[in-house]
Amino acid sequence: MNLVDNFYAYLWPGETMREMQTYGNNCNSYLVAKALPEDKHVLVDPGMVTNEARQNCLDRLISEMEKDGIKIEDVGLILNTHAHPDHYGASEAIRKMSGAQVAIGRGDDDFLKLAGGAMAQAIKEMGFEFPELHPDFYLTEGELRLGQDLVARIMLTPGHSQGHIAIYWPDAKVFMGGDLIFHGSTGRVDIPGGSAQSLKESIEQVAQLEIEYLLTGHQYGSPGIIVGQEEIKRNFDLIRIHIFPYL
Amino acid sequence: MSINDDKIKSALEIALEKAQKLGALSDEEKYRLKDEELVAAGEALAKRYLNGLPLRDIETELAGRAEGDRRMISQHLLQHLLDRSDIGHIGRDDNILAAIQHLSGDPGIVQSIRDLLQKYESAIEKAKQENLSALEAAKRNELELMGISGSAVEPAIETSREWMQVQQDLDSHYQGQLEHIKQKSRNLTDSTHTATHPEGRGNAIQ
Repeated sequence: MNLVDNFYAYLWPGETMREMQTYGNNCNSYLVAKALPEDKHVLVDPGMVTNEARQNCLDRLISEMEKDGIKIEDVGLILNTHAHPDHYGASEAIRKMSGAQVAIGRGDDDFLKLAGGAMAQAIKEMGFEFPELHPDFYLTEGELRLGQDLVARIMLTPGHSQGHIAIYWPDAKVFMGGDLIFHGSTGRVDIPGGSAQSLKESIEQVAQLEIEYLLTGHQYGSPGIIVGQEEIKRNFDLIRIHIFPYL
Repeated sequence: MSINDDKIKSALEIALEKAQKLGALSDEEKYRLKDEELVAAGEALAKRYLNGLPLRDIETELAGRAEGDRRMISQHLLQHLLDRSDIGHIGRDDNILAAIQHLSGDPGIVQSIRDLLQKYESAIEKAKQENLSALEAAKRNELELMGISGSAVEPAIETSREWMQVQQDLDSHYQGQLEHIKQKSRNLTDSTHTATHPEGRGNAIQ
């Protein structure tokens, strides 16, 4: 679904209760079309290949992209907001299809190496593989320049995970927040590497930005995209009042 | 006769058939079957250990076996763990080293592995220092050609083709030395085995 300019959104169903009951877990994916030379695309958070409900998440993403005339083979770069399998899981599979470069926050790559063993074990015990990730480069706080004239600001936004990053596109005022903030809620902080205090600080940092489109990592019974500066400000206020005290 | 009686009788019959077949086997075949059983038991325990079964539980299971079988299964368990160990991974899992020390009963083997790992890690770190700048520059250049640049980009040299070649060469060198230690361990356990059991086959049939 085209959002604005060259920005596309591929939301994993879950806005309604019925959808939540029907679909297993996976993240929302976003894409910036033709951001790189040779009209290659940038994909943010590709999600999983298959989820715990044995739903083919990657097949669905590919199919939805094709409806917009975008081929998975033309993805040139995959940006992962954090190292949880429901966000980065399909990275290596897409790399095989497209030869895309893969990136993630430095802090979460360390998490993958250190805690991956225990997490991989827990996930294997549930009957799933822990997907591999071999980043070509890490993302740190700063500027990410793509192609001739596209600039994104990479922000370190720990809280949901230690090395969580968010991507802000100042020209389009688009913010891709991974699992930092949702509509009326925030990312959980009880997973290893999580921190309530860091999450609050990250959210306050992001609240200073001028955002027109706030793109979240999951729908979880509410819209995955919040549009309009007033609506986004209301969302920050609501979270401060109703969520922060319980984190 | 109830259905259950029928099932029990069938199970008995199967057991008797097996016993009859066993009686008809030559000593060589009996040894081979017993060996296969003990190898499989050792491998199964190794897999369960790697999946989290504590050493004390392994000891409890082994304690229920006859002494000769227990020794053989321990050896196969140890060999399986050694076979699975390569230079790139053995240092990441203290459980494997703990089991090797426990099962071999020879702290020297694990110490040799630890010493080798230390040398390997030092060599990797030295190679990184020597190659870091060049590898980073090469990766940045590769990314820039793809239209990717900026202060947020920090090349991951560990996944660059150039670094993987350097690492592969080091892995190959140190893996050879690890195989040498593993072979020494195998020789040690084989000689214990041969010395303890006539014909080098263990007291497989008791």
